[in-house]
Amino acid sequence: MSVKVDPKLMKDLEHFGLKDVNKCFQCGNCTAICPLSTPENSFPRRFMRYLQLGLTDKILKSPEPWLCYYCGDCSTQCPREAEPGEAMMVLRRYLTSRYDWTGFSRKFYTSERFEIVAVAIVGILVGLALWLFRGSNPNMEHAALNSVWPAPAIEIADLVMAAILTFFLLSNTYRCAKFIMGDLLYRIPPAIYIKKAWELVVHFATQKRFGECTDKMQWFVHLLIMTGYSTVFLLVAVFLAGGLHVIGLYWDQLAFQRDVEYAIWHPIRLLGYYATAALLYGTTYAIIGRLKKSKAPYKNSHGTDWMFLILLELTTLTGIFIHFARIVDLPMTTYVLYVVHLMVAVPMLVLEVPFAKWAHLAFRPVVVFLTQVKEEYFKEQKMLA
Amino acid sequence: MEKKTAVYVCSGCGIGASLNIDPLMSISKEDYSVPVCKSHECLCSREGAAMIKEDISNEGVNTLVIAACSPRVMYDVFNFENCIVDRVNLREQVAWCQKPGEEDTQMMAEDYLRMALAKVEAMELPVPFKPEQEISRDILVVGGGLAGMTAAMEASKAGYGAILVEKEPELGGFQKKVGQIATFPYKDLKDNRIISDLVKAVTSNPKIKVYTGAAVEKTVGGPGIFEISIKQNGSLAEHRCGAIVMAAGWQPYDPGKLDKKLGFGLSPDVITNAMFEEMSFGGNVTRPSDGKPVARVAFLQCAGSRDPKHLPYCSTVCCTTSLKQAVRIKGQNPDSEVYVVYKEMRTPGQAEDLYRKAQESGVLFIRCQDPEVKAEGGRPAVEAADELSGETILLGNLDLVVLATGMVPATAFGPDIGKELLKAADEEKKEEDLDVPLDIIRRSKILNLDYRQGPEMPALRYDFPDSHFICFPYETRRTGIYAAGCVHRPMGIGSTLEDAAGATMKAIQCIELTSRGAAVHPRAGDMSYPEFAMQRCTQCKRCTVECPFGAINEDEKANPLPQPTRCRRCGVCMGACPERIISFKNYSVAMIGSMVKAINVPEEDEEKPRILVLACENDAYAALDMAGIHRMTHNPWVRVIPLRCLGSMNLVWIADSLSKGIDGVLLLGCQHGDDYQCHFIKGSELASIRLSKVSETLNRLALESDRVRFETVSIIDYPKLPGLLDEFAEKLVEIGPNPFKGW
Ligand code: SF4
Ligand code: SF4
Ligand code: SF4
Ligand code: SF4
Repeated sequence: MSVKVDPKLMKDLEHFGLKDVNKCFQCGNCTAICPLSTPENSFPRRFMRYLQLGLTDKILKSPEPWLCYYCGDCSTQCPREAEPGEAMMVLRRYLTSRYDWTGFSRKFYTSERFEIVAVAIVGILVGLALWLFRGSNPNMEHAALNSVWPAPAIEIADLVMAAILTFFLLSNTYRCAKFIMGDLLYRIPPAIYIKKAWELVVHFATQKRFGECTDKMQWFVHLLIMTGYSTVFLLVAVFLAGGLHVIGLYWDQLAFQRDVEYAIWHPIRLLGYYATAALLYGTTYAIIGRLKKSKAPYKNSHGTDWMFLILLELTTLTGIFIHFARIVDLPMTTYVLYVVHLMVAVPMLVLEVPFAKWAHLAFRPVVVFLTQVKEEYFKEQKMLA
Repeated sequence: MEKKTAVYVCSGCGIGASLNIDPLMSISKEDYSVPVCKSHECLCSREGAAMIKEDISNEGVNTLVIAACSPRVMYDVFNFENCIVDRVNLREQVAWCQKPGEEDTQMMAEDYLRMALAKVEAMELPVPFKPEQEISRDILVVGGGLAGMTAAMEASKAGYGAILVEKEPELGGFQKKVGQIATFPYKDLKDNRIISDLVKAVTSNPKIKVYTGAAVEKTVGGPGIFEISIKQNGSLAEHRCGAIVMAAGWQPYDPGKLDKKLGFGLSPDVITNAMFEEMSFGGNVTRPSDGKPVARVAFLQCAGSRDPKHLPYCSTVCCTTSLKQAVRIKGQNPDSEVYVVYKEMRTPGQAEDLYRKAQESGVLFIRCQDPEVKAEGGRPAVEAADELSGETILLGNLDLVVLATGMVPATAFGPDIGKELLKAADEEKKEEDLDVPLDIIRRSKILNLDYRQGPEMPALRYDFPDSHFICFPYETRRTGIYAAGCVHRPMGIGSTLEDAAGATMKAIQCIELTSRGAAVHPRAGDMSYPEFAMQRCTQCKRCTVECPFGAINEDEKANPLPQPTRCRRCGVCMGACPERIISFKNYSVAMIGSMVKAINVPEEDEEKPRILVLACENDAYAALDMAGIHRMTHNPWVRVIPLRCLGSMNLVWIADSLSKGIDGVLLLGCQHGDDYQCHFIKGSELASIRLSKVSETLNRLALESDRVRFETVSIIDYPKLPGLLDEFAEKLVEIGPNPFKGW
């Protein structure tokens, strides 16, 4: 089967941050250094060629861009400064936009204005909602969040939001799986999927592939952000009111949003501290890195990269401020900060998780998992033959 | 000329330390009664040369034997007008390559001196050849394209007249049909003004006589005295000219012969690069089928080129041409999709910049060895395995597919006379005529030479009339005729201008040398030429068949009619002639014969075998010098005689040597065959063919054929020479001494 060529792809991908791929003369230095490349799979060089030729079909079906964590070694080694690492990043952005069936992602990536306006609108809506649905009798003597926005109510909003996000994210992830697996998706027996499910968990939790790259710092920072983020997610989505309050399944002793402070050793408090510290360190490191262009993966920043980091940093900072405002018991300050906090955090979640950078938290482990499933399947087929 | 001989022995450069000079003096004085014998510690110094000059003017000596360094050096110092000079190579080939002070070393030097004395005895001062007719200084240029017009202009600028013959009704050649050109500095395309400017300059130049719609009907004679008949509109014009620049141009490879896979004929929108030029001349590129604008174009490189079934060579310009055409389409419509499918992109020199320009303007390059053109829904498409991604890609819905076909020289058309000869010979069953490989000469009707060897230029390879690309870039195998432009080898505009200027310069050199009676390259300046003692000729045709340069015509009775101005003085005819009736004033069968006779062959019990080395003076002799320069000691039994070309080797020398008791004969010549290095093209090959017949002679003498050996060496092989000589010497020891010793 011959593949269609689309010389216009390069031009299109410029909106996604593509640099001049034509600089690449296919020397393969990037492949030589890249830990992901194998004798059969000349990565990322082959993708530079796909880009040059605009082999869209090939790109859509390829898992490889997701296997790359952007250590940036390839870009450092490239004698032509063709930025293969950034090209893989661009492919991930592009793929995210192609997996997304709403077309929202593409807009988000290709127009900075759209991106900013979208974030602003969601932020304002959140602010308005919080203003409209505030408690009728706020405690103005002590900082007691539950008196203004009771945790169970917020939890319901949380769940609604989570449901919508999950719907979009999962449908997009399904499309991703379909592209990558094609007919195989259903042809492979479920037993193999189950057998390999563990990998999904391991990769999600440890990102051990990233650990194979030479620059361990990148892996560490990424791990910090990821675990910090997951912890916070757990705290606000699952433990906000101590469990699923709506169905009465909760334990007050685990509630994240509560007006009485936990003792310093309390696991919820400790988790909160870990998450905050991890996010603060990781995000600040990345922001400084990008500002200084300190290493290859930080050299090129797309609008969405900045948006992502800024929102995350703001969310973290406002979270910290809320915490201190509560400890020193400044009710008004706490409430205002809470509104700001959510005005930043919610757009970040709503827009970034299904449609932009955050989506990779689903795509990447799923793709790693699927490639292993595929490998296993072929191995078994070969043994049968 | 009454000879008065003088011997000068130099003792400098280590010669004196290695040899005893006095015995050399006494050999000259006593054995050869040389009246003037002198030695000097530095013969090439001003004093040394002055001493010789003094003897020439005061003593009246005119035959000089200079025993010093190699004849390959100091030739300007030891150049004495009107004197016969021979050089004895005591330095490189005795003192520097033999053990100093040894008896064997001394014997070698003495032999070389004897050989030189015998040689000068047989030598005469050459008398330059003067043809009866007056030498013409006009240059005939055949072909009025870029190369031809440039050649005519260059000739006129240098003060020589030019006669320009063009077969088309107008001057201009292929380039006339080219609208835009890509040439130095290859940054962008240029409008083609070269041709119109040149046509103006040529037609208004009083030194250039232009014939258009004309052809050369006949070329008779040789350099300096070519008689040319030019036919134009049914009338004949006659001209004498001194040399010829052949700029007959090229034809695009016939697309009808291409592999079906390339799709020529599949659709009117599959065209060749030459058709592209014609169709886009002065206008935009459109779809040939319906005149619509083009937005998707694919170029397929090497269409029929670098393919043993079609043109085995690279035409060197079709890559740049496709780049030019691709850039042109991009310029016409920047949004168009342009693909170049190539095997290797060959952009010689700075043409690489045009490649970059094409790349920057968005042309996509696809490396694929074997693309296929298909018709998909009425539009051509190209399927190609992209090597760099490993994917088979489809370039569908194309408006235009351009096949980059190569160049075929104008000399490639017409039947090959070799085949005709073979047929004729087959009928006559004259076997011996056949062992000399026949040249490929096609009846391409460009020069219509009145040469016994065929009417056109012999091809070297792929029908290009070349000689030896590396050593003699402008030379063909017919003296005084120089190929220029794409008939010479495929080339672009820049190279053509250079090539035409170069060929014109060679033509001028030829006229000048010929008017002095001297040879052209590679024996430029040689005043000798072969003379035939016709009374003894048996009309065997060996000389006419073997002369690599077609310098000998024939009359109806098969008598050779030598054309000395065409001769390159290689001596191949002299080696070929079984009657030994061809000789030069300073180079003859008898002369080498007496040198062989002058070698002192010790008795068997002395255990000093002797090996005669007949070495080509262009490479093998130089390699021996190189070995000496590197102070590599070699076998003391060898005696080396340099030959103009191994092709001048006459079998009688081998018979003479062996019957004299010399134990073995080693022939050192240049590589022959496809990658030949012989300065005279076929000399060493002919020598080896002749040698294959020597076993007969040896059998007659009851000798082992192992005693004669042929080796090919080039100058860079010098480190192997001592080993090669030793190995041969050992073999001879094994065979045992020559039974003819002492006879
Ligand atoms: S991206 Fe750079 S290193 Fe990789 S193949 Fe291209 S030029 Fe070479
Ligand atoms: S110049 Fe290019 S297209 Fe022409 S024969 Fe050579 S490699 Fe092939
Ligand atoms: S064989 Fe050589 S020397 Fe003899 S006529 Fe031909 S070119 Fe001259
Ligand atoms: S080779 Fe000698 S004998 Fe034969 S034709 Fe020529 S000149 Fe005559």
